[in-house]
Amino acid sequence: MYVELRDINKTFGNYKASDHVSFSIEKGKLVGLLGPSGSGKTTILRMIAGLETPDSGDILIDGKRVNDIPASRRGIGFMFQNYALFRYMTVEENIAFGLRVQKKDRRYIKKQVSDLLELVGLEGLGRRYPSQLSGGQRQRVAFARAIAPNPQLLLLDEPFAAIDAKVRQELRLWLKSMIQKLGITSIFVTHDQDEAIEVADDIIITSSGRIEQVGTPLEIYQSPRTPFTAAFIGQPTIITNYTDFHNFERIAGATEAIVRPEFIKMTKKGELMEYRASAEEGVVEGKLFRGTHMDIRVRVNGDLLTARRGLEDDDVSIGEKVDIFIYRLFVAAGDKVYLLKNESLREEEFVI
Amino acid sequence: MENETELRKPKGAGGYVLIAVSAIFFFVFLILPLVTVFQNAFSDGMLPYFKAVMDVYTRKATLLTLEVTAIALCVNTVFGLFAVWAVTKFQFQGKRILTTLIDLPVSVSPVIAGLMYILLYGRTSPLYPWLKSHSIHIVFAVPAIVIATIFVTFPYVFREIVPVLETEGTDEEEAAAIMGANWWTIFSRVTFPHMKWAFFYGIVLCTARAMGEFGAVSILSGHLRGLTNTLPLHVEILFNEFNSQAAFAVSSILVIIAIGILIVRSLLEARAKG
Repeated sequence: MYVELRDINKTFGNYKASDHVSFSIEKGKLVGLLGPSGSGKTTILRMIAGLETPDSGDILIDGKRVNDIPASRRGIGFMFQNYALFRYMTVEENIAFGLRVQKKDRRYIKKQVSDLLELVGLEGLGRRYPSQLSGGQRQRVAFARAIAPNPQLLLLDEPFAAIDAKVRQELRLWLKSMIQKLGITSIFVTHDQDEAIEVADDIIITSSGRIEQVGTPLEIYQSPRTPFTAAFIGQPTIITNYTDFHNFERIAGATEAIVRPEFIKMTKKGELMEYRASAEEGVVEGKLFRGTHMDIRVRVNGDLLTARRGLEDDDVSIGEKVDIFIYRLFVAAGDKVYLLKNESLREEEFVI
Repeated sequence: MENETELRKPKGAGGYVLIAVSAIFFFVFLILPLVTVFQNAFSDGMLPYFKAVMDVYTRKATLLTLEVTAIALCVNTVFGLFAVWAVTKFQFQGKRILTTLIDLPVSVSPVIAGLMYILLYGRTSPLYPWLKSHSIHIVFAVPAIVIATIFVTFPYVFREIVPVLETEGTDEEEAAAIMGANWWTIFSRVTFPHMKWAFFYGIVLCTARAMGEFGAVSILSGHLRGLTNTLPLHVEILFNEFNSQAAFAVSSILVIIAIGILIVRSLLEARAKG
C-alpha cells in the first residue's frame, strides 16, 4: 500500500471533518475522493499533504508515518482548486519555483521547465503571466508546477471546478492520460460523480466525515453497499413504499427504495411491451429536454419517477397514461442495501 | 463601451448642478485657502519669504519633523507588517479585539492621546520617579513627540494591507510551502508582491499624517523652540506672535511636502491599477 490512513479523526470546532477514516491506496493508482460538499474530502486531502494535522490516527506514505513530517518534506505535489498560481511570476517561474527552492542546478531547471512546457502543450507561453492564460491553460501550468519536483504522490483538489463545462470534458481525459503516462500515484477530490467515474481507477465515497465505500467506478455504480452511496450515485429517485409495486421481493422492515432512470422502461399505451402484465400505470407530469434524451416525470403509485425517452421515440404528452416497468431497484434496510430484480424477469429466465 | 460613455455624460440640469456644486465647494474649501497660504507667504516679497523659511528655528523644526516622521514610519511599518501577518495568516483568540483596537488612534482625538501620555509619563504618574532617577526624559522632550506621532499614525500601514491580503487567501503561500520554500522566500516572492502597492500607499498616508500631526504633539512637546518644536507647532507660535507672513511661509513648506506626497500617492494608485 502506498498511501494509508489509519483511523483518522479531525474536528473543526463542532464540525467533525473526519470520523474514523481509514483507507489505503495502491502505488500508481488514480483515486477519486467523491462526496457532497462538506463531507470532509478536502480535509482528507489536506491532511495527507500536511496542510492540516489530524487529531488522532496515522498517515503513512510509502510505509513511513508522516504525521510529524512537514508538508514540504513529504514529497508531494499539490494542485489547488483555484490553482494558486503565483500571480506575479511568469509561467516559467511558476514551474521552476519548486526546483529553485530545492537549489537545483540552473541548467537542469531550464531543461526541466522546457520539457514540462512541452509535455503540457504550452510551448511558447512560458513568458506569460497566469492572468494572460485561459482556465484550461492555467490548469496545465498548475499541473506542470505540481509535478516539476518529481513528487511521489500527486494530490489534486477539485481539479476541474474552475473550468467551464466544455473544456472540462477534454481536460478530464487529458489529465487522466497524463497521470497514467507518468505513473504517479494520484488522489483527486471531486463532488462530481461523472468526473470521478470517468477519471478515477478507484473511487472513495465520503459522507459526513466517514468513508462510505471504496471500489472501482463500476462496483460503486452497480453495487452500492450503503444507503448513502445508493442514494448518491446515478440520478436516483426515492420510492416511499416500494411494496406498492408488483413483483418485488419483500424485505422485512424496509419500505423505501431507490430507482434510477436506467432501471425504468416507459411505454406508451399500444406500444409493444414484453412485460405488460407486470407493468404499472402512471401519468406523465412533466418533460425535460436533456439534449440527448428526454427526462419524463411520471407519477406512479403516488411517487414521482424519472424515466428516459429517446428523441426518436414517439412523443408523450403531459397527462397521458403510460406503462412503467421497473427492472430493478435498491432497497435500503438499516445500513444495508439490497438489489432487487423484478421477479417477472426471473420467471422469464426460468422458462428459457 | 460607447454606450457606457454615453450614459456617463451628464444629462439634463441635474448633472450639471451637481458638478457645479462640487466645483464651488472644492474651490471655497480647498483652492482658496491654498492660494491664500502662498499669497500671504509672499505678501512682503521674495526676501522675507526666504528669510522665514531659512530661519534657524524653521530649519530645526523641519529637521525635527522629518526625524520624527522617519522614526514613526519605521516603527509603524515593522509593527504594521507583523500585525498584518498575524491577523491574515493565523486564527487566534482575541483577533477581533486586536483588529478593533488597532483603529483606536483614528477614532480618539489626538488631544486625548496627548493627555494620555502626559498622565502616563508626566509628573503625576507613578512611573515618574523611576523615569527621573534613570534620567529618562519623555514628556516635553523629543521621545514624547515620537511616541505621540507613532500613536496617531499606527493603523495606516496595517489598514491598507489587511483587506488586500484577506481577499488573496493563503493558497499561494501554501503552494509555496508544500514545494519547500522557507518563510522568507514565501514572504518576499509570494506575499509581498501582492501587497506591494497597498504597502507603499499605507506608508504614504502614514507619512502625510505624521508630518501634519498637531494636537497630541502640541500637548507633549512643551514648545521649546529649536528643541521640541515641529513644523506645525512652529507655525502656531509664529502665528500667535502676529508674524503671519512668516507663519504662512513656514506653512508653505508643509503644503509643498503635502502636494509632493499627493503626487506620489496618485502615481502609486495609477501603478496599482495598471
